[in-house]
Amino acid sequence: MVLKRIAYAVCVLALLAGAWGLYDRLVYGHQHAAYGSYVVWGLWVAMYLFFAGIAAGAFMIATLDLLFGIPVLRGIGRLALWVALVSLAAALLSIWLDLGHMDRIWKVYLQGSPSSVMAQMVWGYTAFGFLALVCLILALTRPASRLLRTLMIVGLPLSLFISGAVGALLGVQASRMFWHVGLFPVQFPVFSLASGTAAMLVAIGLFGSRQDPLRSEQLRLFSLATVVLTIVKLYFLWADFSQSMYGNVPQNVKAVEAVLYGQYWWAFWILQLLLGSLVPMVVLALPGPSRNGQWAGWMGVLVLVGFAAARANIVFPALTVPELEALTTAFTGPHLTFDYFPSPMEWAVTAGITGMAILAFLIGNDVLPLRAKMEVA
Amino acid sequence: MVVTSQEQDILLRMQDDLRRALEKPPHQRRWVMVIDLRRCIGCHACTVACVAENKLPPGVVYRPVLEEEFGSYPNATRRFLPRPCMQCDNPPCTPVCPVHATYRDENGVVVVDYAQCIGCRYCITACPYAARTFDFGRVYTDGTAEAEGLILGRSRADDYERVANFEYGRPYERLRGEESPIGNVRKCHFCLHRLAAGMLPACTTTCIGRATMFGDANDPDSLVTEMIARTNVIRLKEELGTEPRVYYLV
Amino acid sequence: MAVQERVSQTHSYERNKVSMFSRRDFIKMAGIMYGTAAFLGWRPDFPQLVASQAAATEIPLHSLENQIYTVCLQCNTVCGIKVKLLDGVAAKIDGNPYSPWTMAPHLDYETPFAQTGTVEGAICPKGQAGLQTVYDPYRIVKVLKRKPGTKRGENQWITIDFDTALDEIVNGGDLFGEGPVPGLKESYALKDPAVAKEMAAAVKAILTEKDTAKKLALVEDFKVKFKDYLDTLIDPDHPDWGPKNNQVVFNWGRLKGGRSDFINRFMRDGFGSTNTHGHTTVCQGSLYFAGKAMSEKLVDGKWTGGDKFYWQGDVRNSEFVIFVGASPFEGNYGPPLRVPALTVGATDKGLKYVVVDPRLSKVAAKAWKWLPIRPGTEGAMALALIQWVLDNERYDKVYLAAVNKAAAVAAGNPTWTEAAWLVKLDENGTPTTFLRASEIGLKEKEPRPLSTDPEKTYEFDYFVTLVNGEPVAFDPYADKPEDAVSGDLFVNGIQLGAFTVKSVLQIISDAAHEHTLEEWAEICGLRVTDLVEVAREFTSHGKRACADIHRGVSQHTNGFYNVLAWYTLNALIGNYDFAGGMIKLSTYDAAGGKPGQPFPLSKLNPSAMIPFGTSIIRHDAKYQESVLYARLPEDQRYPAKRNWYPLSSDVYQEVIPSIGDAYPYPVKALFMYMGSPVYALPAGHKLIEILSDPKKLPLFIAFDITIGETSMYADYIFPDTSYLERWEFNGSHPSVPFKVQGIRQPAIAPLTGEVTVFGQTMPLNMEAVLLGLAERLGLKNFGPGGLGEAGDLSHQDDLYLRMVANVAFGEKEDGSDAVPDADAEELRLFEQARRHLPKSVFDPERWKRIVGEALWPKVVYVLNRGGRFQNFAKGYKGNQVANQYGRLINIYQEKTYSTKSAMTGEHLVGYARYFPAPVDVLGRPVEDGAEYDLRLITHREQVMTKSRTSGNYWLTAIMPENVVLMNSADAAARGLKTGDQVKIICASNPDGVWDLHNGVRVPMIGKVKVTEGIRPGVISFALGFGHFAYGGVDFQIDGVLIQGDPRRTRGFHANAAMRVDPYLGNTPLVDPVGGSAVFYDTMVKVVKV
Ligand SMILES: Nc1nc2c(c(=O)[nH]1)N[C@H]1C(S)=C(S)[C@@H](COP(=O)(O)OP(=O)(O)OC[C@H]3O[C@@H](n4cnc5c(=O)[nH]c(N)nc54)[C@H](O)[C@@H]3O)O[C@H]1N2
Ligand SMILES: Nc1nc2c(c(=O)[nH]1)N[C@H]1C(S)=C(S)[C@@H](COP(=O)(O)OP(=O)(O)OC[C@H]3O[C@@H](n4cnc5c(=O)[nH]c(N)nc54)[C@H](O)[C@@H]3O)O[C@H]1N2
Ligand code: SF4
Ligand code: SF4
Ligand code: SF4
Ligand code: SF4
Ligand code: SF4
Ligand SMILES: [Mo]
Repeated sequence: MVLKRIAYAVCVLALLAGAWGLYDRLVYGHQHAAYGSYVVWGLWVAMYLFFAGIAAGAFMIATLDLLFGIPVLRGIGRLALWVALVSLAAALLSIWLDLGHMDRIWKVYLQGSPSSVMAQMVWGYTAFGFLALVCLILALTRPASRLLRTLMIVGLPLSLFISGAVGALLGVQASRMFWHVGLFPVQFPVFSLASGTAAMLVAIGLFGSRQDPLRSEQLRLFSLATVVLTIVKLYFLWADFSQSMYGNVPQNVKAVEAVLYGQYWWAFWILQLLLGSLVPMVVLALPGPSRNGQWAGWMGVLVLVGFAAARANIVFPALTVPELEALTTAFTGPHLTFDYFPSPMEWAVTAGITGMAILAFLIGNDVLPLRAKMEVA
Repeated sequence: MVVTSQEQDILLRMQDDLRRALEKPPHQRRWVMVIDLRRCIGCHACTVACVAENKLPPGVVYRPVLEEEFGSYPNATRRFLPRPCMQCDNPPCTPVCPVHATYRDENGVVVVDYAQCIGCRYCITACPYAARTFDFGRVYTDGTAEAEGLILGRSRADDYERVANFEYGRPYERLRGEESPIGNVRKCHFCLHRLAAGMLPACTTTCIGRATMFGDANDPDSLVTEMIARTNVIRLKEELGTEPRVYYLV
Repeated sequence: MAVQERVSQTHSYERNKVSMFSRRDFIKMAGIMYGTAAFLGWRPDFPQLVASQAAATEIPLHSLENQIYTVCLQCNTVCGIKVKLLDGVAAKIDGNPYSPWTMAPHLDYETPFAQTGTVEGAICPKGQAGLQTVYDPYRIVKVLKRKPGTKRGENQWITIDFDTALDEIVNGGDLFGEGPVPGLKESYALKDPAVAKEMAAAVKAILTEKDTAKKLALVEDFKVKFKDYLDTLIDPDHPDWGPKNNQVVFNWGRLKGGRSDFINRFMRDGFGSTNTHGHTTVCQGSLYFAGKAMSEKLVDGKWTGGDKFYWQGDVRNSEFVIFVGASPFEGNYGPPLRVPALTVGATDKGLKYVVVDPRLSKVAAKAWKWLPIRPGTEGAMALALIQWVLDNERYDKVYLAAVNKAAAVAAGNPTWTEAAWLVKLDENGTPTTFLRASEIGLKEKEPRPLSTDPEKTYEFDYFVTLVNGEPVAFDPYADKPEDAVSGDLFVNGIQLGAFTVKSVLQIISDAAHEHTLEEWAEICGLRVTDLVEVAREFTSHGKRACADIHRGVSQHTNGFYNVLAWYTLNALIGNYDFAGGMIKLSTYDAAGGKPGQPFPLSKLNPSAMIPFGTSIIRHDAKYQESVLYARLPEDQRYPAKRNWYPLSSDVYQEVIPSIGDAYPYPVKALFMYMGSPVYALPAGHKLIEILSDPKKLPLFIAFDITIGETSMYADYIFPDTSYLERWEFNGSHPSVPFKVQGIRQPAIAPLTGEVTVFGQTMPLNMEAVLLGLAERLGLKNFGPGGLGEAGDLSHQDDLYLRMVANVAFGEKEDGSDAVPDADAEELRLFEQARRHLPKSVFDPERWKRIVGEALWPKVVYVLNRGGRFQNFAKGYKGNQVANQYGRLINIYQEKTYSTKSAMTGEHLVGYARYFPAPVDVLGRPVEDGAEYDLRLITHREQVMTKSRTSGNYWLTAIMPENVVLMNSADAAARGLKTGDQVKIICASNPDGVWDLHNGVRVPMIGKVKVTEGIRPGVISFALGFGHFAYGGVDFQIDGVLIQGDPRRTRGFHANAAMRVDPYLGNTPLVDPVGGSAVFYDTMVKVVKV
């Protein structure tokens, strides 16, 4: 398949870029990062939220097959679990590289603070990762085992919890009005599911087997799910933004305005809204394209890109509003700016991680018997 | 009228206050800082003193002074507002830390354990006062010429940046690696290491406007206690319930 | 730690007490984390329990074993500092609590040193950042020579051995492949002090001869008399130019005592040049020289002996202050000292102040009133206030009426004025000289002994005042109670004998009534009501009010008269020498000028030369007396080619342009020490044209710590020791009431390396160069026996330690003013704190030998405390300051009147009057047309010092660049908003660039900041930015390209947009009387780029 070869090639290039980025990151630490002490979290944290969202969403989807046994989705459980695993790995790698002291990550496990949403989240994701891995192994080796079902039962609420935790991570911050949205923990699982769904569109649409008889129905299902979830997502967005604007809390309004009309307005209007939501919504609502692997797959890609932009638009704007007026000019220096655009090093690392995730997915897709049985049946 | 001052510089008065406070067990003291905005002239001496005392690298600042202009010509004025860490009694920054690396110590001062902090920067996002900054590992002489032997050159010039600072009472040399506090979040700590020696915080000592005052608010005789009983006291973002220990006189 | 252990009890020293802590307290406090946290047992509270007590107690910086008290030089305020050391590295700088600059009241001098390790005063951000000046990566450490074959300013250097460099400078030769360069040897022509003395006397006779023919005849006599020495003269036809020695000029920027003694000993007493010039006029020249004119004394019947000084307010004790063109929160002398007085004064003591400044400075932001005056009309405002005070009779009548000391003393005033003296008017009604009693037959002249030679006498003529309408003769200095005379204040044009006379106060009143209050207000761009309110307030606090003025008053073409007007206003309330009024500085004599002092340096000066002749800047000299003038045809005498400065000195902007014009004579070599006139002076770009031309200036030698905007044009640059590596005696400022002498001393090992001179190893610095030159030239007052009976002057310490000894000994002949001896512990700490210094810098045995065993413990006592500082309580006597000016204040100056301008031939005016600014050196208004519609002014920011802090990255973090401050109305009219870039252009620099004459042109482009805090029609920029050298641009040494750091060049420097004087052509506008270089009188336009 041409597409696959191209995908491999792109991934290898991305890995090369990633290798350079990683080298820079490991030798110069965070010196060449564009995030700083005001825009504290940058691309990597956004990518962490993004990948983690896919991971949780994909797991939820896997339960539809492996736990609930929905007929049309038969056989996609393992694929979804694999998607969950590789994206989780990408997520954790992103966030790990973001730490000031990577070598101290063990402290979160052994000396972690239960009161910290971040600690909870790390624990949750780690547990989730192990669980997903065991589930995948079981699904590959003993698909009918009780243990698998039990683990899936445990995993479902866990995936909800961890994706909610991402919302909570931001939401508990009373001082960041833009994040301090009561419904964030509720919204995030929906976002996760939506991104998981989109990831499945890509996985099945672009890389799934054409011989699979269920493929077009599955695509149709995921397409419709994507449309519905996008509508819900847009509703949330509207609710958040309109409330912010009506509430008229200056910090909040500034953050919203930064998203809508700020330096990166295009990320919102073009990537997130037009390409990431409206276009896929329309296309995927159409019966034809929604069943077509190419169409659906590429729409999935668009939705994911939109999601990446959306993650960024949640993380950065809140941070680009000075907590106190005049902070910008009070003291200047590297990493003391309220403007943020990822540095080449950050892009390179993210490219590497993304490339690695896709590569892992492709290899797994080729090597692991993820859908093999289906085809036989 | 006879001019021989009966006064004492408040720097010495506050050092006396400090001495009394240090005689008490730590939990009975209540360190507070009072900043009289009428006296603050926006000189930034405190900012730089803090940078120098704690050997803060580029991008790290504990106490910037914010400058603003108000009014319209000719009825215009300027205001200068120094912003150390508020040492909140109810700090939003500590509970979010995943590894207990930041917490209120027995003095009620919010500290960062450099050996413990993993550098996730969660606490930065939690602080409503932007009082925390991250140490990205730079030095101010970065980017200057080396030219060994022809001029002083970068590596002979950065000694003063590399020698130890004594935050938290321990020497931290800034070597060329990634040792803490590089990769850590850093913040104002009320100069605990100076308090321990009976010295005022560096920003307080060097405040040429005598705008910054420091002491034990549990001591009825201390200067700060006198000050925070005034009617013109405010605290920043009081509505957030953070209960800052930094008071402003306006 | 030793200090804590030793001093465990609490001491109180009266009010200024220091408390110390026991080790136990210390450990208790050490409740800070960092134990060895057990892996899993880690709990947040765990490390506190194992608090690393050892670590907490062992902060070496807190120990006096690691501290040296010295003096800051990050600006010129000279605050006392303590340098804290870690392994020989200066790790932190804080305030020295013994110094009145950093603490108020400061610690009593007798406070045991051992108790001060943890006590520190307040210093400003620049002081804190001093480490970055010292450890500047771009500091030069090798002697640099302009690469032969390259032009000046091309920034290509070669390193050169110290001795070779000195040999070249002394011997000259074809040093740069451009032809022969005259060495110093060639200019060291006149060597015999006896001949010099005779010649000087002969020249004096020539100058004082009024008759032209006789004068020229005297010149011929001179040539005959000194026929054997004519080759030592610059020009035998102009013997008043002096010897060729004068063709070597030494010019400095920031210079302090000690080094000034060193330089003068070399240049004047040794080399015999009269050309040693400072930078005063770039700074606040007209303030100093108005001060000088106001302090001239009547000695032997002549007005002379004025001090180059000025007054500032003792604002600590003021109830009301008018700050005019002064910026005590951002500049001035200086923030650590004056700020607390103002801030605490305003919050706690009811102090009120008003700030007269076109810009909303930080002090204006805190003021009771901000009066955004129109630049250049400061004198008008003072006269308006004077008018109101006079009209409403709110002046101190008793003070002003006193015409002599006796009357002043009787009223309890330390000073008095000429307010009631009578002045003769000429036929036009112009005030001229004082009426003398003999002129109206009131009292005969009387012979009195000459001060210089009591055997001889001069004729003393009494002055005249009216007492109740009757003329009374008086002696201004009579001090017996029965001689007290108080005169009538207003005498308006009455006839006495052949003369029409007025009283001085009447003359001033006339000047104040040249306009109505409304007109004055209009001129100043202020409101009448504000003027009246300020005048009323000023006269409502007795003597505890003052008008404190600085550069914004003096650096105008009318600077001298602005200053005079404000000082006259102060005189109306008689606040001089009063707490809260106007005071002068006071220092301990380090040069040993007081009887009994152990090392009288001026006497320890074997075969000292007598420098004579007109200086290259023609200061202290009258054009009309010169041979040059006599030789000119009468109709070509005015205007002179360049102005002469009979009333001022250290005319910075005159040095290089005069060299360029070879007026009055050509110069062979220029030494530039710690000055950067190219950067600092208005229109400094014009100097580049001269400096870059070896024909105009054959040899240019600079002492610098980096390659600066001026030293980049030098032929040789000698690296200097920084302020933490050297000696200096810092004197004081008029804002300090106490008698002081802060001493700068080596605190770290020199980064410049060592050299050997006179067989001694010493740091490579300015002194080493002068010693080396002296060795080569054979100057008698250097080297073995250089200090006469006191011994050798082969090492810098030989001079400086003796100066410390002088300070330690004090100023009483019997030694009763000496400081106590340092005790054993102090001695130990002294040596211990200096353990990191190399022997060439600190060698206790050598040091002890220099000052002698007896004085050694006193020297240590002084050095440990960073100098000598009078106790706070001693600074005041009742409601007056203890260190008083205490004499006549010339609000009317006969000497000034008697001086004629070299440009117009007119008499100068000797009292406060308003002259509109700007005018050129000929007195013609400078009008550049409506196109130039904005007045350019400049100011300081607290975080920048002139040309030398742009490499202090802690400071540039706070302020990375400067801006064009512009009122919102002006911005709106030009369609400009904050952040827009504009180029600044004036009539004399229509391109708005610095042409560096090395192919580089630096445009003056800055970012606009729209503000409400500046007067419409005025723009201002902060000093210290827009560098084009100083480590900010690339240069080459020995062929190695050294990259500059662009952080150091940010912002812009608009001095080149300041107006060039239309007549002089290569010099900024000047105050022709006070000598100031003019910073605030240029009209510019801004062009958006
Ligand atoms: N626009 C504008 N210009 C101004 C002013 C203003 O307000 N606005 N103010 C003016 C005033 S008040 C003054 S006093 C002048 C000052 O002007 P100057 O006295 O000429 O100069 P500085 O800028 O103090 O320093 C000049 C040189 O000293 C060198 N230097 C620094 N430290 C040392 C040292 O330790 N040893 C030696 N040998 N050299 C050293 C520096 O490298 C620099 O080249 O500037 C004036 N210029
Ligand atoms: N931070 C800092 N402090 C310093 C120095 C430094 O370089 N940096 N240098 C030291 C030295 S050498 C000096 S001489 C002193 C100078 O100290 P100051 O003379 O007090 O300070 P400047 O800022 O030069 O000028 C004073 C004020 O004059 C105002 N001004 C400008 N034009 C006019 C005018 O036409 N009329 C009136 N009325 N005001 C005007 C300016 O806005 C400024 O606020 O500072 C000393 N202290
Ligand atoms: S000011 Fe910020 S960093 Fe300081 S205690 Fe409060 S929340 Fe924490
Ligand atoms: S940056 Fe350090 S102190 Fe802050 S939350 Fe993370 S681990 Fe805790
Ligand atoms: S208390 Fe210490 S750490 Fe805090 S701002 Fe002041 S100097 Fe900095
Ligand atoms: S040192 Fe004092 S006066 Fe200066 S900015 Fe800081 S608080 Fe204000
Ligand atoms: S005012 Fe600041 S820079 Fe100037 S001498 Fe004092 S401490 Fe140093
Ligand atoms: Mo100056």
